[in-house]
Amino acid sequence: MKMIKYTWLLFSLWLLLSGSALAVKLEISAPGEQTIPLAIPPLQPMSLVRPEVAAEFQQVLESDLDLSGLFELVNPESFLDDAQRLGLRSSEVDFAQWRLLGAEALIKGGYQIEGEKLTLELRLYDAITRRLLSGRRYIGGLKDVRRIAHTFADQVLHSLTGEKGPFASKIAYISKRTGNKELYLMDVDGHQPLRLTAHQSIVLNPDFSPARKELIFTSYDKGNPDLYRKEIYTGRESRLSMKQGLNIGGRYSPDGREVALTLSKDQNSEIYLIGTDGTIHRRLTNHYGIDVDPSWSPDGHKIAFVSDRRGNPHVFILDVHSLEVVRLTFEGKYNATPAWSPKGDRIAFSRLEGNQFDIYTIRPDGTDERRLTFGAGSKEHPRWSPDGRFLVYSLEQAGKKTIHLMRADGTGSRKISPPGGNDSHPAWSGHW
Amino acid sequence: MESSRKQRWRQLQSVFEPGFSRMLLISLLLHILLPVLYFTPLFPKGEPLKPPVYRVNLVNKPVKNPQAGRPEAVATKKPAPPKPEPKPAPVKPKPLPPKPKPEPPKPEPKPIPKPEPPKPEPKPEPPKPKPAPKPAVKPKPEPKPSVSKAQENALQKRLEQLRKKAEQKQAEEDRKARLEALRVAAAAESQQIESPVKDAPVGMLDGKGDEAGVAAAEFVREYIQQQWSLSQYQISGSPEAEVLLFYSTSGALQHYRFLEKSGSSIFDDSLIRAINKSKQLNQPLPEAMEFHIVFNLKEMMDRR
Repeated sequence: MKMIKYTWLLFSLWLLLSGSALAVKLEISAPGEQTIPLAIPPLQPMSLVRPEVAAEFQQVLESDLDLSGLFELVNPESFLDDAQRLGLRSSEVDFAQWRLLGAEALIKGGYQIEGEKLTLELRLYDAITRRLLSGRRYIGGLKDVRRIAHTFADQVLHSLTGEKGPFASKIAYISKRTGNKELYLMDVDGHQPLRLTAHQSIVLNPDFSPARKELIFTSYDKGNPDLYRKEIYTGRESRLSMKQGLNIGGRYSPDGREVALTLSKDQNSEIYLIGTDGTIHRRLTNHYGIDVDPSWSPDGHKIAFVSDRRGNPHVFILDVHSLEVVRLTFEGKYNATPAWSPKGDRIAFSRLEGNQFDIYTIRPDGTDERRLTFGAGSKEHPRWSPDGRFLVYSLEQAGKKTIHLMRADGTGSRKISPPGGNDSHPAWSGHW
Repeated sequence: MESSRKQRWRQLQSVFEPGFSRMLLISLLLHILLPVLYFTPLFPKGEPLKPPVYRVNLVNKPVKNPQAGRPEAVATKKPAPPKPEPKPAPVKPKPLPPKPKPEPPKPEPKPIPKPEPPKPEPKPEPPKPKPAPKPAVKPKPEPKPSVSKAQENALQKRLEQLRKKAEQKQAEEDRKARLEALRVAAAAESQQIESPVKDAPVGMLDGKGDEAGVAAAEFVREYIQQQWSLSQYQISGSPEAEVLLFYSTSGALQHYRFLEKSGSSIFDDSLIRAINKSKQLNQPLPEAMEFHIVFNLKEMMDRR
């Protein structure tokens, strides 16, 4: 009995002491700065001096990182002498200078030119802990400066977020700059546009293969809207689906083995699954309403599509295995062109409000609908970047169509399509 | 009837093992112990986890027992804060006024009414109270010729007292008004509206101490938060990490350790950067202090 008493007393004493020894408890529920202060001093020459090379690299890298929304660039006018030094090793960098300027991340680099050969040495440092976060050496031609800058921007995002960026990927789109609607390819920032087709008719609705460097699209080349496939590097082109009536809105499945598309061979637009050889695998919808614009969920089990089966065009979700259909949108009188995000958490679509379309996103369970675009002009055809961070869409204003990019939350919108065209129907490639 | 009840009880007892009742008692005691234990530090309730939103001016001195006030006040008047301090002090006399109130009036009115019938006089008389009463008792016979002087003196004293009372009342009202203004300021602050109070003393909105400055814990919280940079585009989900930091009186970080990591290296790295940037606070602390800081993104995610 005594033992129990003593134990109880000791226990009480311990409780009291432990209570008094507690530290002051605080909670910090948001960072004070929601951007990372980043310094990018100009590339330093390692042999031949070509300032235009360094300037182009700097401009592309800064533009990409600015679009990411992650960074606040330190004003170059405040740079001190370390910005003029080549030192790339941790021991050679004067981190105190960069900390003084408030930088938390630092990109330093040098370039070497031998004839047409370009070598870039690049380092990303944590300026506070002096830790090397990423170091890369890129070797290419002088014409590859932009590509190297995009690739390194992807690497920077990977180092600071754990997920690679999409800047080195490509965007396909339809442009009328030759007078006809043709298929084009460009960089994510709109540079280096390349025409891929010369059908001299109407080309529509491109989509990238997730497995190979090839595209599918609809073309009226032979009079009927048929589905075509085109290998990008060889230029080889073939008709994938040429059923009577519509062969439109082709979308590769996430594994690249099948294509979902709209066929109207039976006098009514329905969604079908076809193989990469063009053979019909399954009919997915069977309704007197019009079913178009399929978009796969990243796991390949579901497809979002547009149907007017309940009166006005709305987005529905179809289970590929059970063929069960669930309505997703209830608001608005015209919802179109759904695009399922690569992370699977949201579906983007365009909605007609008044006399113009705007871009919205919604969760696949129908909750948390958000309007992303505002202002004048009709915004349509949203498509996701391969990492789900950005959306690309076409904007029609004053009779002219241009292609724009924005972050997935609707911020940071910017025009990317090259000047002088009438561009629409963008599609974002996977990691290139 | 009773025997059958006893029999049933015996039958019931035979069902249970011997010592069952003791075990039942122990079980009961343990159940009682549980709620007692709940109120010990072994089960932290997390009460200080989300205090009201403060905006701490990092120029203000971190103190242990901050007075009521606003951190922004320092920007308008730096020397002002010490002045308000003595002001609240006069409020202390609170206990003094009650003394003259109950004590003097009672004894005085009685003796004076006798010699002076007029109504206005008995009123001015009572002020005499403390100093006059005793000496006044002896010269009672003499006063007659000098009654008017005594009355004048008494009147003046009474007037002084009234003035003092009025001043005290005014001070009290001022204090109340200031408190009310602080309350309004706190409400405005919480709604992100600029506070209407322009000259409130340096302190904390809910300060109860007597030191001009801000609570050391809030100061450290604000300081470290300002050093923490993280973009919403870097993180998904709701990571949370707990860190223990030890600061010396000079505001130098002695050491720190993660009590719990978030599971996201990006998030944890951002905390390490923030802690590294907070190695030296820009003000000394009132004493060496240990902080258990929970870092999360509740506020940032709310805004998404």
